[in-house]
Parts: sequence; C-alpha cells; structure tokens
Amino acid sequence: MFARRRFAVLKNLLEYIGIEPGRLHFSWISSAEAEKFQKTAIKVCEAVTALGPAKHMIKEIGKVA
Amino acid sequence: MENQAVTERIREVAKRLLSDGKVSCVIGFEKGTVPMRERPYFAYTPEEADKLIWTSFCCNNLANFLIRRDLGEAGKIAIVAQGCVSRNIVGLIKENQITREQVFVIGVPSPGMLDRNKIQQMIGANKVITEVMEDGAELVVKGRDLEERIPRKKVMRNNCYTCVQRNPVIVDELIGEETAPTHGGNIDNVAAPWEKLSIDKSWEAFADNYKDCIRCYACRDACPLCYCHVCFVDETMPQWCGKTQDEADVATYHILRAFHCAGRCTDCGACESACPMDIKVRRLTSKIEKDIRRMYDYTPGMDLESIPPMSVFKPDDPQEFIK
Amino acid sequence: MNETTFQPRIAAFLCNWCSYGAADLAGVSRLQYPALIQTIRIPCTGRMSPKFILQAFRRGVDGVWVSG
Repeated sequence: MFARRRFAVLKNLLEYIGIEPGRLHFSWISSAEAEKFQKTAIKVCEAVTALGPAKHMIKEIGKVA
Repeated sequence: MENQAVTERIREVAKRLLSDGKVSCVIGFEKGTVPMRERPYFAYTPEEADKLIWTSFCCNNLANFLIRRDLGEAGKIAIVAQGCVSRNIVGLIKENQITREQVFVIGVPSPGMLDRNKIQQMIGANKVITEVMEDGAELVVKGRDLEERIPRKKVMRNNCYTCVQRNPVIVDELIGEETAPTHGGNIDNVAAPWEKLSIDKSWEAFADNYKDCIRCYACRDACPLCYCHVCFVDETMPQWCGKTQDEADVATYHILRAFHCAGRCTDCGACESACPMDIKVRRLTSKIEKDIRRMYDYTPGMDLESIPPMSVFKPDDPQEFIK
Repeated sequence: MNETTFQPRIAAFLCNWCSYGAADLAGVSRLQYPALIQTIRIPCTGRMSPKFILQAFRRGVDGVWVSG
C-alpha cells in the first residue's frame, strides 16, 4: 500500500524522463492466482519484446572513459 | 520592508536573544567575499551578530544547518527563515529530526531571491561585477566601467516566481509585515516542462539537461531534506549508483535524489542556486511535487499537523498502473 | 538484432507472499510462461525500492516487472 504510492510517483517520473511505460510493469497477483500470473508474465514479455532492446540507463563498463 | 531595514532588525533581535542567553547561536547570512554570494553565518556572541545581513542573494536554505549538529547539546538555536525555509523546518519537525522547542524562528517575509547567473548574463558574461545594490524594485549593478539598473522582477530565481508561501509558516518573532503569499506565478503551469514531449524527446531533454553534471553533490549538500548518514551514492556494497560521469550514473543519481525528496520538497531552489554548472535540477522535483499535489492533494511543510504523503495511504489511491 | 530473434531480459521482482507463491503454483500446475523473466524474490512488495529498478536497468535488463 505504501509501495503503491511510491511506485505511482516513480512510474510517472520515469515516463516523464523518457523511459517507455511498457518497460516497467506492476501487477497485483495473489498466491492462488497462478493463471493470472501466467497471463501477466506472457503480457509483460510481449510488451517488452515489442519495444526492443533498452536504450537508456545502461551502464556500459567498456564504454566509460 | 527594505532589506537594509530587515538587516537592522535581524541584528537587533539576534543581539537580544544572544545576550539574554535564550539561544546559543543565531543562524543567518553574512556578506560573501564576492558580490551576489551571501553565505551562511553562525553568530555565537552579540558582537558577532553585527555581521548578520539580509539581502536578495540569501539563496542557501538555512534549515540545512539545523541537522547534522547535536542540537541536544547546543540548546536552543535561532534561525532566520523566510517562507520556504520555515516550511523545511516544519518538515524536519515532522520527520523527528528536531523539535519545535529547539528552534527559535526569526521569520522574514521573502522578497524573492535573485539569480546571480541571470544578472551576469544580462550584464554580459565577461563583465566583472564588483557591487550590487538594491534600490526598491530595482538593482544597481556596478563593475569596472559599468553601472546599470535592472528591474528586480526580471532576475528573480525561477522557483521564487512560483512561490506559494513567502511568509514563514511558523514564527517566533516576525520581522516586518506579512506580504502577499505569492509573486503571482502558478507552479502548476511551469512545473514538469517535459510532460508534453514524446518519449524520445523527453529523454533527449532529460539527458541534455544533466549532461554537464560533474557529480559534485552540491545539490544534495545544499538540500535540507538530505540528512541520511550514509547517502545512497556513497554506498559501495552493493553499489546502487556509480561514481562516474557516465550518462547512466548521472541519471541514476538525479532520479533517486529527486525521488528521495518526493512529498517533502518545498521548492526552495537551494539546489539550483548551489549548482556550479547551472543545471536546472528542479525539472525533476517539480514533476514529483506536481504529481503529489494531483494524486494525494499535499503540499509539503504548510502546517505541523498533516501527515507526510509517502508515509500513509488511502484505500482509494490511484492504481490504474497496477495491472 | 532483428525483431524476430530479439529475446529481452526481464527482471521480475516477486513478493514472497503473493506473486512468488503464484509462480510456484503456476509451476506445480504446469502452466507455461516465457522463460525470459528472471525472478528475484523479495520479502514483501514493501521491501521494493526504486533503487532496485534503476539498478536492474543499469545492468542492462530490457524490462522490469514488480508484482505484489
């Protein structure tokens, strides 16, 4: 519940600075909802695959001067 | 009230408090060694109180100095506070960093502080300014072969244009009279300037804004909200944030710093004034505070009673992002 | 890397008491889901910190999934 407020703010912030909303997913699944877990996992993978490789925020050790 | 008159009154009050032994120290400003850079000053004796001043370049947030010191031994401390600083003191009280009894607030309605970079740009980047004097609504800028008059309103700090409370919210002794709470600007209209851009453009704008960052942490050190004993940037095991000027490290630092200020930032502008590279640090904090106003209807530091938004929840908080 | 062969890496932060249990149950029930997600168990969604998300991106994941 506190996490909900925290991530409502964070998700908006990351979207604001240009991280695609499809890269960050939140869900609410109880331990009895195996089917929902499966469906959400598939959905998340599809969304991220569609966006392609991440472009920002990656620390590339080799490239750092 | 003119700043010169405020200076006189601050000295008067400080001397009285110190000689009566009511406080052990008065935190205020003294004249800086270069023009337009007044610096924090701690007056411990009535004689030292004569050094205190009040000008339009008192850009530091003095609430910063109430933390990181053992107030238990120091006894009561007096602090010169305008609207934003008093709101930060309220924040510190709410977060149990200090108690109301430990501080004596010398309240000053804020004239709106000025941005030295804007003045320098107006005069010319290569001109040397030796003295800046205030004359009502105008500034008299003097330098080598130059004397110019600039309207005050044109060179105010960006956060001061959209200030929501110029008058101190808690006060033990008020200097001057309360003024209009705002300068007329509406923060909601200017906060979060990249919101309208497309995703790619916002990243460009974000990366461009912070590309000059030299990771000096002046914005963190100037901020009265940052009082962790070990900051996340100093942690090494695990290391959350690299120490290089790599784009990812700079971005991580600024995102997390802004996020730690969520629901607490009073938009005092100390971070932007402290930045040696003139980075618009408020672009991120203003977005977060705008969201918090919209979603949780909260403005930090306005009173002692309300509960900080990130430490409570309501059953009907927005959650459309949770699938 | 073209669209058809691109295999993203996704960090999934799963709460011990909710989604981690659901993942367990999904396994027991033989429900198939993509193997692209790398599960990280957290004691509670309340333990989740923005640091973790940024760190995941820094280490080069393509997506992050937080589930409580």
